[in-house]
Order: sequence, then structure tokens, then C-alpha cells
Amino acid sequence: MATTVALTKPKRGGRWSPWLFALPALIVYVGFLVYPAVSSLWFSLTNWDGLSATYKFVGLDNYLKMPSDPVVVTAVKNNLIWTVVTIAVPTVIGLLLAIALNGKVHGKPVLRLIFYTPAVLPLVSIASIWGWLYNPQYGAINSFLRLIGLDGLAQAWLGQDSTALWAVMVPAIWLRTGFPMLLYLAALQSIPNELYEAATVDGATKWQQFWNVTMPSLRPAHYIVLALSLIDSFKVFDMIYAMTYGGPGTSTQVMGTWMYFNVFQYYQAGYGTAIAVVITLVAIAVGIPYVRSQTKEAS
Amino acid sequence: MTLTAPVQVDVPLESVEPAKTPRTKRGLVMTLVLAVIALFWISPLALLVITAVRPLADFIGNGPLSWPDQLTWANFKDAWGIGNFATTYKNSAILALIKVPLGVLVSAMLGFALAKLRMKFRRTVMFTVFLGLTIPIYITIVPVFIMMRSAGATDSIFGLIGPYLAFGIPFEVLVLQSFFRQLPDEIIEAARVDGAGDWRVFFTMILPLSVPALVTVAILDAVATWNEFLFALILLNSDAHKTIPVGLLNFQGQFANNNTGLAAGILIAVVPILIAYTLLQRWIVGGLTAGSLKG
Repeated sequence: MATTVALTKPKRGGRWSPWLFALPALIVYVGFLVYPAVSSLWFSLTNWDGLSATYKFVGLDNYLKMPSDPVVVTAVKNNLIWTVVTIAVPTVIGLLLAIALNGKVHGKPVLRLIFYTPAVLPLVSIASIWGWLYNPQYGAINSFLRLIGLDGLAQAWLGQDSTALWAVMVPAIWLRTGFPMLLYLAALQSIPNELYEAATVDGATKWQQFWNVTMPSLRPAHYIVLALSLIDSFKVFDMIYAMTYGGPGTSTQVMGTWMYFNVFQYYQAGYGTAIAVVITLVAIAVGIPYVRSQTKEAS
Repeated sequence: MTLTAPVQVDVPLESVEPAKTPRTKRGLVMTLVLAVIALFWISPLALLVITAVRPLADFIGNGPLSWPDQLTWANFKDAWGIGNFATTYKNSAILALIKVPLGVLVSAMLGFALAKLRMKFRRTVMFTVFLGLTIPIYITIVPVFIMMRSAGATDSIFGLIGPYLAFGIPFEVLVLQSFFRQLPDEIIEAARVDGAGDWRVFFTMILPLSVPALVTVAILDAVATWNEFLFALILLNSDAHKTIPVGLLNFQGQFANNNTGLAAGILIAVVPILIAYTLLQRWIVGGLTAGSLKG
């Protein structure tokens, strides 16, 4: 009897019930994320200054202007450098730390706690801390260089074009290493020990075991780390804004900050929005495989 | 600081090791190496603490890398007053207390509909919501600013609730629906046989069974809410309504030449999150890895 009842579809609530559960979140999501994002497409086709009551439709002018804007060129280049460096370095350090922590090490919980700590701090506070460490006169970094006799290397790290972007990426690496470490650690712990035992029986060296057992087993983790880091790296704004304000000059501008400057400093809301649209489309294109894989797995 | 306080962890990280001598020795070397790296890793925060508790004259006289001759709490008192932290703390706390429970509830409801109810257009809804993970906040700031201005909600922390909820929903739904999916259908069917409707199933079965996932999502969401900067920057103007990140930025400008005061202010801003993280790290770690690996 129980089986027959369980097999019939639930009558109560009917077809509409799922939507009652779904609607509150969907209304907020559409109202404050989808709708604003889509209406930005419209603003990007206007010459709106952000203040006036009226504006004109200018077609693709804002987009066509971009290649001849030297700051956009700098920003695109900086975004690319940022993406490559702040993905590659944290992923490699995170993997090495995870492998080390997965071995016979004492005090693992404390070590893991320390390495993940920067990831929970507000970006603005990380910017403050590092801005303070980089201080040319009283900063700890230059003091340390002077202490070990490398006075010549002490410099205004955030104040010169040649080092500013790299100086901002160091704290970004500091804060982004924790996540791959945690993920790899969890993945390493789920590799069955029998695989290693079998490899040992077959006479595989530690090095061979790493490339033929460990790395293939980590493939899902690699995928998640890369996908999430990639998505995250396009969002860069807070760190640059709080550490260098895009400077010196415009040397550390990225698309996110250049968009902000155009909208809120130069009163070119239409143009600023077009910049945001471009980088968002890239972010979506890059993120879609991940989003699809998550949707598929859940179905 | 409580940074290095040992914390109970549920995952059994250390496997039982019967063979002793050579491996233990290698373990010791590895531990030492990792300890040095960890010390280096945490040194910015350690320096911050040391600087915050010494007088400015001592800092300038002896340099940032020296051990303080003198200890003082005065920096914290100065920073607390000038940094307006009483106000920014209150604003950030109110915002998190309203936003986090609300966000977790609506996300759990949507997650339940996606995971356990026969909903039409399920995959479309899921794809659309998960796509939100890729959208940068700055694509929405101009329309959101206009929206809030016409609603008279700029310069109020309540104006932040809508945008914060919207940008939290994709991640929360992703984690929660994957957790709900693992709950056996049989118990839901059994409850239905007893005449329970969807709402009763949701509130009396799904939510109580999902407490670990709900707590994890709530903590991660609270951290994100506490740290959010861009919306707060464009929507809040007056000092009376600023949140911690925006307040800290202002403070940083005012204290540019007072290194010890600046260090104290930064510490004031991050201590609650460091304490919460240390106490709750087991939930954060479990949630991050489970949320992304199992998807």
C-alpha cells in the first residue's frame, strides 16, 4: 500500500508550490542583479553623464572609443597580468602546501588555520596592512632590506610605475593561496591509499607516484580551483582602489577601477558602463563552462 | 591574539602511523620547514600587533622591526575615537544580522524547490542563478545607484540589503541545493504519506537535517557581508552610516603619518573576523571544500 501512495505525485500544493519556494529569492536576484546588469547594456549605448536628467542614444560609440583610450589599453594589459599571476602563483603554492600538510606533519590544524587566515580578512584591511608594510620610510619591507644590507633595493614600491602592479599582486597572492590549499588538501585526503600501495608494489618511485597517481586524482580539484580563480580574478577592484587608487598616474588601472573612475569621477556614466559590460561579457564567457558543469551535476 | 590557538577539527587529518623511526624524523623536518613558512606567512599580522601596542616615538626611534621598549593601549583608544569605529561596528553588525538570516532562508527555500520539488524550468532557473557567480558587482552599480536614489535609499544601510542578498544568493543556493539533494527522498515521501505539505516538510525536516550546511553558508555569507566594499562605497555618504570597510578606508587616509595608530585601527577592524574565523574555522573549511568539490 505504501508503495502505491508514494508513487503518486503529491497533490497538495500542486504545480505552483515549488514556485512559492523559489519566488522570494528569484525576485531579489532578478531585481537587484539581473535587471541592473541588463539595464547597464542600455546605459552603455548612451552618452549619459550620470547626473543630467536627459541623455542621448549614441549606438556603439562608447565601445568604438575604447581601443583609442590609452588607459583602457593599460587596464586590459593589467587585467591579463593580474589574472595569470594571481591564478598561477597561489595555485602552485597552495598545491605545495597541501602536499606538505598531507604528509606526516605535526600541528596541521594550526598550520592550516594560519595559511587560510588572510582569505577571511576584508580586502580593504589587507590593502591597509600592505600599504603600511610598503611605506617607503617606515615600512617593514624596506626596513628589512636595509637590515640585511640591501639598501639599494629599498624603494617606493607602490609609488613607481615599474613596481606598483607587482606590489599589489603580492598581497593578492597572500590572500588567495588559502583556498586552493584547502581544496587540494581535501582532495588529497580522498585519494585511496590502495592506489599508492599498488604503485609501490609496481616499483614506482615517489616522483612517479606523484605524476601518475596524485596529479590525475586531483583533476577535479584543478578544474574547480582554476574555474573559481578565473571568475574571481575578473572582479578585481577593492585591492587596486584601496592600495594605489589606480596610480601612480594610471599605471595600475584595471577595467573595474577605470569603470568606477569614469562613472564617479569624470561623469561619463555611459562610457564607464560600456567598460564594465566588456569585462563582464568576458567573465561570463569564461565562467559558463563551470556554471554548466554545476547545473549538469545537479540534474 | 588568538591566531595560533589550537582548534578542534572534525576531519581526522592525522592517520595512524605504526612505523616509527625514519618517517617520524622526516615528519619533524617537514614540520619545522612548514612552521618557518607559516611564521613568515603570518608576519604581517604579527608586525601589526606589535606596532599597535607601542608608542609612536618608540616605533619611529627603533624602527618597525624592533621589539618595543614600551607598551601602551593608547593607540587603540585614539583609533577607536577618530576612526568612528563605534558607529561603523554598529552599522556592519545590524546589516549582517538582517541580511544573513534572510539570505540563508530565501536561498534555502529556492534550493529546496530546485533539489526536491518537481519544478518546471528547473535547469533554466538553476543555470540563471549560478550564472550570477560570474557577474562582477561593478556592472550593476550604475543602475543600482539610480534605483536606490529614486527609492530614497542611498546613504542608508537598508539600501544595501537588496544588492547584498542578490549577490549572495548564487553561492548559497549552489551549496544548499547540493546538500538537500543528498537527503534521502524516502523520508520526504514518508512525511507526505502522513499528510505533510511542502512547507511542513521544509521547516520540520529539511531545515533541521541541514543545520551543518546552513551554519556554514551563514558564516561564509556573514564574512562576505562584513567585508563588502564597492556597494557600500557608492551608496553610503555620511560618516553616521558607513560600514567597517568604508570607514577603515577613511581612517587610513587620516592616519597616514601615524603608523602605530593606523596599525591599531586596522586591528580593531579585523579582530572580530579573526576571532570568529578561529572559533568557527571547522565550519568554514568543511563548507568551502564540500561546496565546491561535490557541487
